[in-house]
Amino acid sequence: MPAEYIYQRTPLSKHIYLTWTLAIKSLKVRYKNSVLGFVWSMLTPLLYLAIFTFIFSQAFFDIENYPLFALTGLIFWNFFSGATVTSVNSVIDAKGVLKSIKIPAIILPIAEMISSSINLLLTFVPFGALMFFLGAQVGFETLLLVPLFILFSMFVLGVGIFICALNIFFRDVGLLWTTLMPAIFYFTPIAYSAKLIPEKFLWLINFNPVFHYISAFREVLYYNIVPSAQLWLIISSLSVFFLGLGLSVFLYLEKGFISNY
Amino acid sequence: MAEIAQHNQQQVMVEAKDLHLGFMVAKHGINNMKDFLFTFGIKQPFERKEVLKGVDLTIFKGESFGIMGRNGSGKSTLLRAISGIMKPESGSLKVYGKVAPMMALGVGLEPEMTGEENIKLLGILMGYSNREIKDSIDKIIEFSELSDDDIKSQVKRYSQGMMTRLTFSITVARDPEILIVDEALTVGDLGFKKKCAKRIMDIRDGGGTIIYVSHHLDEIKQICKRGCFLKDGKVMKTGNIEEIADLYSREVSKKRL
Repeated sequence: MPAEYIYQRTPLSKHIYLTWTLAIKSLKVRYKNSVLGFVWSMLTPLLYLAIFTFIFSQAFFDIENYPLFALTGLIFWNFFSGATVTSVNSVIDAKGVLKSIKIPAIILPIAEMISSSINLLLTFVPFGALMFFLGAQVGFETLLLVPLFILFSMFVLGVGIFICALNIFFRDVGLLWTTLMPAIFYFTPIAYSAKLIPEKFLWLINFNPVFHYISAFREVLYYNIVPSAQLWLIISSLSVFFLGLGLSVFLYLEKGFISNY
Repeated sequence: MAEIAQHNQQQVMVEAKDLHLGFMVAKHGINNMKDFLFTFGIKQPFERKEVLKGVDLTIFKGESFGIMGRNGSGKSTLLRAISGIMKPESGSLKVYGKVAPMMALGVGLEPEMTGEENIKLLGILMGYSNREIKDSIDKIIEFSELSDDDIKSQVKRYSQGMMTRLTFSITVARDPEILIVDEALTVGDLGFKKKCAKRIMDIRDGGGTIIYVSHHLDEIKQICKRGCFLKDGKVMKTGNIEEIADLYSREVSKKRL
């Protein structure tokens, strides 16, 4: 016999407002206790930039304007790693609330993602200035950053909620993800150019979804060209696929969350 | 039976009929990937654990209803079902109102933020609108009896009693339709406890419904008139709170088989 169940539904507008409130809270808390505050979120990519420029600009002398090249990749990598890592534990950290108030668990990783996106947009102001200083060109194609960023956030959200859902059942997943981060970083042409990869291994890099996004961002910001239709098609499909995968896995596993927090 | 007849005139707020509910638990403590990979395919990694095995319960508008039972009898699960957090598997559950749970110590509070910011945060978590929070923030602060300094300092500097005051004040600020209190009044000084009990009764008298879970016989007798005793996922007895409390004392003194 199917269960009969009557209860008061919460309007979607309240959930949206709650998500926004949690995102702002997470942003505030992130920098509340540190003296440098907001500056911290720029310090990590800047430090990497300094190291890479120091080490690699000699090795990769064929890359013109290496600091700008590295920076255009690092900013978005930093968003990817930061946003996925913070969303992994978002549901577990809120278990107390989820055990007493009826709110959809998916609100929590989404709020983390929004908070990371806002953070990226905020750091984009000083980084934009730095890129300009390093000799970046601004043109019509710069506007393409908006759709690119939306597609990239969809991808990051999909990956984030996928790992977040699995991590509730197996805490290894979260630890594994943190461990994998540096490996994926070096597997993605961020500090180096994809042109340096030997021809016979080039097919391998195509399996790295992050690579396609970084390439598109770099084409817009560094090469000042409009990414090809093929690249747009690849990243759009990846975004839809990963968001769909993340959402379906999360919603499928959601009923088992409560006994595994 | 006279009691039931009297209630027939009243509006039903919560009604459970043969309610079954359980959850999936990992078998023999599979908590990591390795065990999962080795056992998956060979054994079912999860097993169904039924917690509520046919609960029948009716709670009316404007009453405070006590739920008693030993640890593990299904009290918290029943409350979660009423709050809508866990969905029933079979049977029926009807909840005709907005449920406000009284949360455990520190839950839902962000330690890094001030008391005032937390009022807004927890208020929105509980489903209040911005307008409603603005309208009741003064009332909340006044009820919590926290000083101006306290309300402007970070919650991580609060004592447990202060946190309870803050949470309780937010929960009861907007006269909830169904208020769930799960042994929450155990922290806090005597003065505030009395104030909470009075506020709970005010909500009840104003037409709100209270569902009260406690192991303290005096507390539950003071607040509730009617109650039920849960045992092994079933309602063993529903009735006058005095009888329920007696049954509870008898059951607790029994040795567990």
